[in-house]
Amino acid sequence: MTSPKLSRIRNFSIIAHIDHGKSTLADRLLELTGTVSARDMTAQILDTMDLERERGITIKAQAVRMPYRAQDGQDYELNLIDTPGHVDFAYEVSRALAACEGALLVVDASQGIEAQTLANVYKALELGLEIVPVVNKIDLPQAEPEAVAEEIEEVIGIAREQCLMVSARTGAGVEQVLEAIVAKLPPPRGQSDAPLRALIFDCKYDSYRGVVVYSRIVDGSLHAGTQIRMMAGRGTFTVDEVGVFRPGMEAVEELRAGEVGYVIASIRNVRDSKVGDTITEAQRPAVEPLPGYRQASPMVWAGLFPIDSDSYQDLKEALERLQLNDAALTFEPETSAALGFGFRCGFLGLLHMEIVQERLEREFNLELITTAPSVAYRVHMRDGTTQEIDNPDQLPDPAQLEWIEEPRVKVEVVTPREYLGQLMELCQERRGEFIHLEYQPGDRALLTYDLPLGEIIHDFYDQLKSRSRGYASMDYQLTGYRKEQLVKLDILVAGSKIDALSAIVHRQQASNQGRRLVQRLKEVIPRQLFEVAIQAAIGGKVIARETVPALRKDVLAKCYGGDITRKRKLLEKQREGKQRMKRVGSVEIPQAAFMAVLSLDR
Amino acid sequence: MTVELGPGAPRSLYVHVPFCGRRCPYCDFSIHVGGDQLQERFTKAVVQELRGLPSDGPPLETIYFGGGTPSRLLPGRLAELLAAVHSRFRVASDAEVTMEANPEDVTVAQARGWSELGFNRLSIGVQSLDDRALAWLGRGHDAAQAEAAVEAAREAGFANLSCDLIYAVPGQTTEVLERGLRRLLAHHPDHISCYELTVEEGTPLQRDIRAGRLPAPKVDDFLEQRRMLGGVLGEAGLELYEVSNYARPGRQSRHNLTYWQGRAYFAVGPGAHGFLGAAEGARCGLEPQGAAVRYWHLRDTATYIRAIEAGRVGWRGHEWLGEPTLAMERLACGLRLSAGTKVTSPEQLRRAHELGRLGLLAIEGHRVRATPRGFEVLDRITLELISA
Repeated sequence: MTSPKLSRIRNFSIIAHIDHGKSTLADRLLELTGTVSARDMTAQILDTMDLERERGITIKAQAVRMPYRAQDGQDYELNLIDTPGHVDFAYEVSRALAACEGALLVVDASQGIEAQTLANVYKALELGLEIVPVVNKIDLPQAEPEAVAEEIEEVIGIAREQCLMVSARTGAGVEQVLEAIVAKLPPPRGQSDAPLRALIFDCKYDSYRGVVVYSRIVDGSLHAGTQIRMMAGRGTFTVDEVGVFRPGMEAVEELRAGEVGYVIASIRNVRDSKVGDTITEAQRPAVEPLPGYRQASPMVWAGLFPIDSDSYQDLKEALERLQLNDAALTFEPETSAALGFGFRCGFLGLLHMEIVQERLEREFNLELITTAPSVAYRVHMRDGTTQEIDNPDQLPDPAQLEWIEEPRVKVEVVTPREYLGQLMELCQERRGEFIHLEYQPGDRALLTYDLPLGEIIHDFYDQLKSRSRGYASMDYQLTGYRKEQLVKLDILVAGSKIDALSAIVHRQQASNQGRRLVQRLKEVIPRQLFEVAIQAAIGGKVIARETVPALRKDVLAKCYGGDITRKRKLLEKQREGKQRMKRVGSVEIPQAAFMAVLSLDR
Repeated sequence: MTVELGPGAPRSLYVHVPFCGRRCPYCDFSIHVGGDQLQERFTKAVVQELRGLPSDGPPLETIYFGGGTPSRLLPGRLAELLAAVHSRFRVASDAEVTMEANPEDVTVAQARGWSELGFNRLSIGVQSLDDRALAWLGRGHDAAQAEAAVEAAREAGFANLSCDLIYAVPGQTTEVLERGLRRLLAHHPDHISCYELTVEEGTPLQRDIRAGRLPAPKVDDFLEQRRMLGGVLGEAGLELYEVSNYARPGRQSRHNLTYWQGRAYFAVGPGAHGFLGAAEGARCGLEPQGAAVRYWHLRDTATYIRAIEAGRVGWRGHEWLGEPTLAMERLACGLRLSAGTKVTSPEQLRRAHELGRLGLLAIEGHRVRATPRGFEVLDRITLELISA
């Protein structure tokens, strides 16, 4: 088949907050263009992972090509690039946007624009994308489409008349969306005869075909047999197949400038095809790579330990399998005196961590203990060297270190004004520094704070949600490092230090945090046959102490008759529960204890 | 090396008599309230079940009629049942033949009749000698009736007499409990079972406590009262031989020891639990899949009777046990005895010594036994040892 002319191609993405109806709208577009028949429609085609459907979020980007005959009688090729929908995946989102010339901004008519949506819109504007605003869910009784259109006008500067009023659920107005894509979004530019430059915006691992690279061809063309190399990575690969998604993979002769599709080139590892990198031709390389590449690097680290130490190897293999498809996931062996052998894993953020953890448990049947997440601190040593420490237990002796720097982030929160007070209080409690407050139309406000990353990776998001009754949303980005008075807080249970419970905290908050942590541990560590002391210490000095009293009674002095079975079954059940705990010295510690720091009430 | 210790040939028989005048609010046993018209069919069903048991083993050493309330069964029915037992089994001349009785059923004449039928041990459901506690427990008798029952049983010639007591009853102080205990001891019972009040799933008591209408039993009461009971009973010459049971020397319940020592026993009647070795299990129609089998009967009296009448078996379920499970049961049951039990693995012995250092176990060689403090946390000790 031949490639359409550039002027008939439209590459676009959909920017929307979770639950604002992105997937439903995408489904309607697929149906209307006949890309997928209504009969084959499983709800929300683009979210292919079970986990994605359950959580209503997109984890991996997807792409689909839709043929569309517009009212002008011409046939167009519409490429929808679906972006991941969470703050952890901000970089992936920016690359998917970079592959487009335009974006649909979908806003729920009953909710308004959320922080993340706004962050993504700004990103799209920076990249020069044309925005088509779509007010969705106009069929809802509580919908206020006019107010939302006004908000879009004031916040983003797109005239309210430009807003398309749509109900993706009923299909009302969806046809106009297709027309607007054709009419308002510019066609791609690019030179098919220039040296090849193709942007990698995602990739996935296929166990039969190796890595499938999702790419937007910017200049040049690609076909089977082309020798390619990655401009930021290394290695040369020969292209086996190129194709498009409609929505299943379909091979084509050639992908040309302006087109979106996939490339298969016997690439074994997703690390060899990093998101944001530029594919070029090995024989005739481009001079400059496409702008914007950066290494997606973990922001949050946690230890993952199998409950059953025999599953260590299984965990290793499972992590390797996940890594095939997840270039941002890092792991290396970690040994904990308390938890045994496991892995120190790096994640893009907390959601990423939860997803990995859940997939390990669900798809690989592993039972895991996850330690409280930590950020990477920069430790400047007396001897002039600098170390990056992502595991609090490994913080060097205070005598050897000069100072410690912690990573900071700019956090943007969009909230109804009535919750501003509570949310500013939250930011202050987390050592935040106020940067900016901007009132927006309606009753909303955009609040900007500078915060230590370590303060937002625990329960900040949950607190944000609960203090705003679910209305506030947030986005964050790393801004740099700052020197702070940080100390290591150690926890001792029955006199033994539990390495997995160590934390790096601000000196001023240390005793308060130590006290709360031992109180919380007292609640989660069950009574044992003897008294158990729980202590928090800084550099050997105990700053807080609680005691779990010994068990006083644990016997049923009752009449069993001859029913031994009932008693035995109970014992077997208890034994199972006991085996899920970690024995440290002579004390049994439940899994919950290792996450105790996450649920501290402030 | 694992020593195969099967349960041996059964030398004990349990007969469950479900009839009760009322449902006590704390009870979750298989009972049948009223329905005395079912007595005849019940008796025939049990007789028929007895006829089906393999009978060529060693003589029965213990027979136990439990309930429910066996004392509600007319003497003629009891006679029929005992006759069926004797026609099916050889019974040792010194067999312990126990019957449970409620105080309101025990008169000198009645008790004499039971004695003549061949019962030589009576277990009386005294529960308390405090009228307020008895009312709280929803019992159908008062303290005076309970004392009279014990007297009557003695007068009728029962040389081996046991009484049940319930403690940790909310609202009853340790002093009141002790006063009642001393009154009971004045009648010189041979054996006393002291059960803590347990709040069982699905009982009216549980519903009342959950709804906040009644207070729940307290750990403090349990500990204080258990310690008092051990002291006072010890002074009176009744020693603890099982978590809840105290006896004069030689008067331990031989039948109940069967359970705790992991020996086999037949069981008949609704809800009754039996335990047999592979050979006997096979002869009861259970295809062998292990070293021993536990089986349990249909709990509902009418359903049980209909099943037997229709020529079907009276039990509802069974479970074959392999050696590891049997070993675990032996450990769990053996620990309930003051004499303790033997641990088999080095890991268990090591854990036992840790518990010994905490003053919870006394250890001689491989034999471990709970100390008085150990009995208060026995379930945890058991869990520690079986998980070692």
